[in-house]
Amino acid sequence: MVSTFIQLLLSGAIAGSVYALLAIGLVLIHNGTGVVNFGFGDQLMVGVYILVFAQQFLGLALPPAILVAVIVSGLLGLAIQSLVMTPLRNRPVLIPIVATIAIGAALREGVRAFMGPNPWPVPFLLSTSPYRIGGISIVPSDLAILGTAIVIMACLYVFFEFTRYGQAILAACANPTGALIVGIPAGTTTTGIWVLSSMLAAIAGIVIAPLTTLTPDIGLIAIKGFAAAVLGGFASLPGAVVGGILLGIIEALAGYYISSAMKDIVSYAILIGVIVLLPSGLFNRVSVRKV
Amino acid sequence: MVTRREILKVAGGAMVLVATKSAYAADATGVTDDKIKLGILGDLTGHAAHWGTGNLAGGTLAFEEINAAGGINGRKLEWISVDSESSAPKGIAGFKRLVDQEKVFAIFGPTSSAVGVPLLKTMSSSSVPIFIPTFSSPLITNPPVKNIFRSGTLNDADQGRIIADYVAGISKKHSIAIMRQSDEYGKNGATNVSNRLKEIGNVKISEEQFNASDTDFTSQLLRIRESDADIMVVYGYPAPSAIVMRQAKQLGLPVQIVGSTATASRTYAATVGKEAVGTRSMTTTRYLPEGDSPEIVKFRKAFEARFPELARQTRPEATDQLAYHGAKTLIEGLRRAGRDLNREGLIKALEGLKDFETGIAEPTTFGPDRREGNRSGFVLEIKEDLSRTVLPKAYSAI
Repeated sequence: MVSTFIQLLLSGAIAGSVYALLAIGLVLIHNGTGVVNFGFGDQLMVGVYILVFAQQFLGLALPPAILVAVIVSGLLGLAIQSLVMTPLRNRPVLIPIVATIAIGAALREGVRAFMGPNPWPVPFLLSTSPYRIGGISIVPSDLAILGTAIVIMACLYVFFEFTRYGQAILAACANPTGALIVGIPAGTTTTGIWVLSSMLAAIAGIVIAPLTTLTPDIGLIAIKGFAAAVLGGFASLPGAVVGGILLGIIEALAGYYISSAMKDIVSYAILIGVIVLLPSGLFNRVSVRKV
Repeated sequence: MVTRREILKVAGGAMVLVATKSAYAADATGVTDDKIKLGILGDLTGHAAHWGTGNLAGGTLAFEEINAAGGINGRKLEWISVDSESSAPKGIAGFKRLVDQEKVFAIFGPTSSAVGVPLLKTMSSSSVPIFIPTFSSPLITNPPVKNIFRSGTLNDADQGRIIADYVAGISKKHSIAIMRQSDEYGKNGATNVSNRLKEIGNVKISEEQFNASDTDFTSQLLRIRESDADIMVVYGYPAPSAIVMRQAKQLGLPVQIVGSTATASRTYAATVGKEAVGTRSMTTTRYLPEGDSPEIVKFRKAFEARFPELARQTRPEATDQLAYHGAKTLIEGLRRAGRDLNREGLIKALEGLKDFETGIAEPTTFGPDRREGNRSGFVLEIKEDLSRTVLPKAYSAI
């Protein structure tokens, strides 16, 4: 049935935009610092808990609570960069990657100890009442996720492609010494990336958490973000978005037309196929280093 | 008709009980003239911390209360808590620490199937009485093990049976869909429901599965819509179950939703939102922690005063309630065992409990070959204002 197919495409795209938001954050950190941030999902989780804390215990209305959550998350990114990543900057890349895992676990258990293990309700930004058009349910709160993913991707794309600061960040990541010679301070740009990605994590969490339910383990969905990022090439912001949405749609179609038990098997088989046939992902250019 | 397998199962259980009897006689490890030392084992961190923190809080509250009331037969309770970190190896290490180093008399916990089931062999080969108030794997009590008792909670086998009896009774189309999590929890639960429905007969069963970390369930829900079911049983953890219930309403599925006990928490309706209205869940007891019976009100006030940091998290929850009920039941066993306390005496005293009431959860009955204290359940429904009400009928798995 056509309406069923369209419903699956729409729902898959919504789920995929959750993955896309996660993938964007991962790609941003990777592009800007060279580190794969395995604690990104937990930074996202912390951002939403700050929102809940601001609302429930400080009595703030939703807009200022969001502002507080985003600012405090930015400060968290600053702290991670200053206290952990800077001291590790000259160590092999595996060390800071392992550090991100440790930071994630510490954030997760810290929040569990302070806010408890139970789910907390998070307010939806838009209505959850569906509009039914031709047998298709369209939920405004779900569309907010898709919209947020696209807007963030567009802003970051413009930032990195068309601004001097964005170009400076990419240059500092690609060649810190060369960037320093031409006057780009690598430390400042790296700090900027950590602050920015942490703020993005909070924004992503605030739109995702009402849908997915907020618990200290919400960050575990970042694994799908990794899959989306890999599909998109891990260095490409548009690739992250398209990879995420594609993954969501594949899951939805496989779950319906094959079986729900086979959903992940089919999705990840396609992912492996892409990695084998296109090692740089769907959107990433093969990088060539001249020596 | 009693099958050969059932006879062998009971005989096997009896052999376990008899074979280990000698290890308990006059064993009063952890008991002094003025103290009884207990261990509390539970997941205080990790994904199962919800149950472990409840175990610790409920146990602590009951133990402090009995100490304030003068103790048990002239002795005060002393306890040490160990975190099993939602990990089976940590649970085994924690259990051994309590038994070998801390020399406790009895253990309250563990608190999750993921830790308790791998611990079963270690627990059953020890002589330490173990009292479990929370988790639901039927393997813990069937076949019965001499030193392991469980109260309050409804095991997954009994829960599956009760859910099946309930939904078969309300399904007009005799078509029931089971939406279950893909792990052992969902698989075992769904199998129990499905097997009982097959016993009942004349019911069409369809089954779909999901991962605990999934965020979209449209494909499964659309398949269920096509199955023409009028009941959908959701067997999964609270977070994915909440999304399933919300999306089912948003897609306009014409089904009555019935969730497992995992969806019977106080904050669940608020987590789902207005789409939770009319959904139902299994619950292990007629008493809700937010209820107004005198015993519950007293418990809630005492809990909130003792644990303000947990009260801030909308607790007490069912897990706190079951732990408090379990601790009071264990205390009753210790009281009945008398001043001349030893492990054999405690086990005999617990075996003698019949319909023991605390007013906090369902009455507890043990026996020489019965270690499952509660075998009944109820159905709760979410009302228009997102408050909860327990439907009056009790369902028994016996």
